[in-house]
Amino acid sequence: MNEILRLTDVVKTFPGVRALDGVHLSVARGEVHCLLGQNGAGKSTLIKILSGAHRPDSGRMDWQGTPVAFAAPMEAMRAGIATIYQELDLVDHLSIAENVYLGHEPRRAGFVRRAEMLRRTDELLARFGHAELDPARMVHTLPAAGRQLVSIARALSHEARLIVMDEPTAVLAHDEVANLMRVVRELTALDIAVIYITHRLEEIREIGDRVTVLKDGRSTATGLPADTPARDLVTRMTGRAIDSIFPARPTTVDAPALLTVSGLTRRAEFTDVSLSVAAGEIVGITGLVGSGRSELLETIAGARRADSGAITLDGRPVRGGVPGAVRAGLVLAPEERKSQALILGEPVYRNMTLAALRRFSAAGLTRPGRERAAARALAERLQLRPPDVERPVGTLSGGNQQKVVLGRWLLGHTRLLLLDEPTRGVDAGARAELYQLIRDLAADGLGVLMVSSEVPECLGLADRVLVMRAGRIVHTGPAEGIDEEKVLELAMGGK
Amino acid sequence: MSESIRRNLGLAAILIALFGIGFLTKPELYGDPGWLAGNIATILQQSAAIGVVTVGMTFVIIGGGIDLSVGAIVALAGVWSTTVDTQGFGAAGMVFTALAVGAGVGLVNGILIAYGRLVAFIATLAMLVAARGLAAQISGKQTQLSLNATINSLTTTKLLGIPLIVLIFAVVAAAGAVLLNRTTFGRRTIAVGGNPEAARLAGINVRGHTMLLYVLSGLCCGIGAVLLTSQATSAQAAMANLYELDAIAAAIIGGTLLSGGRGTITGAIFGVLVFSTITNLFAVNNLSTEAQNMVKGGIIIAAVLVQQIKFGSLTAFLHRQKAVTAPTT
Amino acid sequence: MKPGPINRRRILLGGAILTTTAALAACTGNDTPSSAQTKGGDAVPNSSPGKAVTIGFSAPAADHGWIAAITGNARAQAATFSDVTLKTVEAGADAAAQRAALATLVSQKPDVIVVLPHDGKELNSFGLEAMKADIPVVNLDRAFPDALAYRLQIKGDNYGMGAAAGHYIGTRLTAAGTASPIIGEIAGIDSLELTQERSRGFKEALAVYGFSVANRRAAEFTADSGQREATNLLNALPTMDALWNHDDDQGIGVLAAISQASRGEFFMVGGAGSTAAIQTIQADNSVLKASVTYSPSMASSAIALARLIAQGRGMSDLVELAVPKEIVLASETITKDNAAGYLPLGF
Repeated sequence: MNEILRLTDVVKTFPGVRALDGVHLSVARGEVHCLLGQNGAGKSTLIKILSGAHRPDSGRMDWQGTPVAFAAPMEAMRAGIATIYQELDLVDHLSIAENVYLGHEPRRAGFVRRAEMLRRTDELLARFGHAELDPARMVHTLPAAGRQLVSIARALSHEARLIVMDEPTAVLAHDEVANLMRVVRELTALDIAVIYITHRLEEIREIGDRVTVLKDGRSTATGLPADTPARDLVTRMTGRAIDSIFPARPTTVDAPALLTVSGLTRRAEFTDVSLSVAAGEIVGITGLVGSGRSELLETIAGARRADSGAITLDGRPVRGGVPGAVRAGLVLAPEERKSQALILGEPVYRNMTLAALRRFSAAGLTRPGRERAAARALAERLQLRPPDVERPVGTLSGGNQQKVVLGRWLLGHTRLLLLDEPTRGVDAGARAELYQLIRDLAADGLGVLMVSSEVPECLGLADRVLVMRAGRIVHTGPAEGIDEEKVLELAMGGK
Repeated sequence: MSESIRRNLGLAAILIALFGIGFLTKPELYGDPGWLAGNIATILQQSAAIGVVTVGMTFVIIGGGIDLSVGAIVALAGVWSTTVDTQGFGAAGMVFTALAVGAGVGLVNGILIAYGRLVAFIATLAMLVAARGLAAQISGKQTQLSLNATINSLTTTKLLGIPLIVLIFAVVAAAGAVLLNRTTFGRRTIAVGGNPEAARLAGINVRGHTMLLYVLSGLCCGIGAVLLTSQATSAQAAMANLYELDAIAAAIIGGTLLSGGRGTITGAIFGVLVFSTITNLFAVNNLSTEAQNMVKGGIIIAAVLVQQIKFGSLTAFLHRQKAVTAPTT
Repeated sequence: MKPGPINRRRILLGGAILTTTAALAACTGNDTPSSAQTKGGDAVPNSSPGKAVTIGFSAPAADHGWIAAITGNARAQAATFSDVTLKTVEAGADAAAQRAALATLVSQKPDVIVVLPHDGKELNSFGLEAMKADIPVVNLDRAFPDALAYRLQIKGDNYGMGAAAGHYIGTRLTAAGTASPIIGEIAGIDSLELTQERSRGFKEALAVYGFSVANRRAAEFTADSGQREATNLLNALPTMDALWNHDDDQGIGVLAAISQASRGEFFMVGGAGSTAAIQTIQADNSVLKASVTYSPSMASSAIALARLIAQGRGMSDLVELAVPKEIVLASETITKDNAAGYLPLGF
């Protein structure tokens, strides 16, 4: 095997945390090596060691056959290891070319050779099949997928031999994912190795050559073939077997509609949307990014104003923006938990009671004792880990943060829960728990309307599925009667 | 919140250290209990007006804003309440005028920022200029005497040995602490400042709340104007000079995050007391204003550094979660 | 500058004297019959109307009674002349804004410009330009460093003001036989040169009597800052014999602090000469016993002299055919005895 990188027994500790506790990893030239692990398993620390941001406490790192210790990210970059972070580190108001060559611009006598820089960027983009991107275009005008390509071009500009990608598909829509896969294949064709970090098991099978699994800072499996059964991988990742990710559906009951949306329209976002959700029912909406799914959900939640159409809950019209919707019991758990739902520095219990402060106060004075008691009861019901309601919510994992958001709405008199990408950034082990939780909530009589860009999630969890395309609902039907392929066909416009 | 208790203990330690320095440099004064009590009363009296203004400022900053117009509002409220017309209605009329002017200007700030979508920095900067201009216009650029004995006696009358202005300051500070920590208003302030989008989606009227924060700040400025007018027995357009910076500095060294979402009233009050004590200590030792300003600047920097170190652990954790550390190229 | 013997004499003479510096209109005519250079009573009085002139005027936006009085006096004086049109421009908030305002003024071609600059050094170049454009500049109070930048400079004597205060306190304490008195000082904005000049004059005058300042605080020319600094100063000096406060406006706060602290064992001297202060001195019912002047009346004089310059006339009581180049007002000491005479000059 033509090995380019080898890690042997790498250990890294932070005050109070043993982030890496003996990691072994071997990456071959030109392969796609997937790195799998739950949040907190040590993936981020491992990336930082590879990129030179951290130095290991002990253990050995061999790069192209010689032991190395990077003191700074610049050294790793020079050696040929480039890292593409989830939150892309681009300068918004510079052009693509300027971003690609930031810090190592081609220059003559102190002046940047602009034309040369544009030409070379063009060449780099063409190397992985994106010659259509104009190097002079400003980065802030690009969608997430385009920005990712800029980062990849930047890595190539540094003659990278290994590119580390941290959950590259987390920010992408379905069709964009296909393109990324193609780009990754182009890279491997250039004999560049890729370390590909992901939560999504199906991507491993699609793009990966081999897999290394991390759990609690240790590598529990190294260099497994990519076609290892998903069940095995999950077991190694979580340390427990998961029989079925999705909870069983209850036998259908014909409950009357709880939420009715009719003829809802918002210019340039969605048109003439009608749907209904019954108490106890989970309805899933899927569609490509840009199909208007999230906008629809936010409009139902009162966060955007509809141009026309009606929203009723229990037959009564819902009015008055978000406060009105919340009063009616129509609430949203938004897509971006950290930026849209949580106050990261505040403790768990205060995040939970935020929307129901009136219930926990008398004459404007809050009653923290009752708040804490209610939060503790919820934490138990939601199996929050750790079950400490005093912790700042920012210190919890993605799955547990999502539980806090759900908890917030369970404290109020919620009738219908709108969930936007409920499992984004949540690792596979915690997902199953969340699915069960959502199903339990529905069983308690809540209506659930959720949006997910992961089709299997929609099909697995929901009772009924709606498919959106270009702002319109193009299909409504029971989840059991449709498969992933059909859904994608509908979402992309048929063939 | 052990974090803020630790910080307040630190500020209390600084206060004690300042008195210790006083004792070492002027033992003949600090050793005299009668003098010391009088001097503490002086420090508290000198903290009253700026302290009340700082309470409002702290709310605004925690709520994610900034109010650069506080000094100007104090001046406008002071000048307006000392115009002869207003003084004709007695002490109650003057107090009402000061509070109404303060709250009114705050309301304008709030509407501009919350509903006019102006950046708080710019809106209140404009208000700073405009309010001082209006104050100069009303006063005809003259120092206006407060002719009302009741207003003036707020500084001299003592209850249980404590000047009334200090008691008013204490009541405002206590009310501010209760408002922030124990009421839904306070909780919403933290939410609005910590994550406005989350607050909005949780059903909080973010704009309305933001507006109220500036009204509250303006109201505090109105109270501050009454106290300052009482002390100076007069008001003028240039009064309360640079109060905005003093109030921001006090809030910051008290642990309020300039980006919002976190802070305590107790800390801010400690910040005010530290600054007043430094001024007093330098006066007692006949040291120059320049030296005093350098020490104040040093304390602000030190406090912000401490703030970064304490928040370092949380930030580092979040960074580990998101892996946002960028390579250098 | 160290206090030398010359300075000392200047102090003992009691402040500065009206100085005239050359800049005379050159006597080019050779038909002057008389050899003795005297002025008879037959001269045309300055008040008699001359040719109509436009005077441009600029002073900083007033945030303080003294500056407000300057602008007010200039306007009032101009109104007394039937042959004067006054054009005032707002000077804005800083030197740059004032320079811009003055540029528009110059473009309107006034016959003469009277300017109280934000900062003499920063606006020196304006003076040079205007003079080069043949517009005479009357520099009010804050001096241009460059003698070519003005036609006439009329200013108060900051050093002399401090010296007068020191002189008054020195004499009074010496007369009372107070040995090693405790003297306090509340200065104005410390970063201003005028404040430093005043304090230097005060210190050097006190030194003549063998006295020194025990504690000096700098306020900001506002009543609230005066109260703050005075309160702290009173705490620092549990007993005191005399106090000089640079500015009567901030003195309102200083007097408030003194009465709030129930102190009265000392006497106080004010500065600038506001109407309220003069009345208090006259009433003699507080610690304020005197004030040393720095009168905004100089603005009135500046307008009167600017008119003469524009009309090409000299001062009718002087021999010279043109207005002198430099006038420094003497700082006078207002006490209970002469207060009545100063009341009209108060601001």
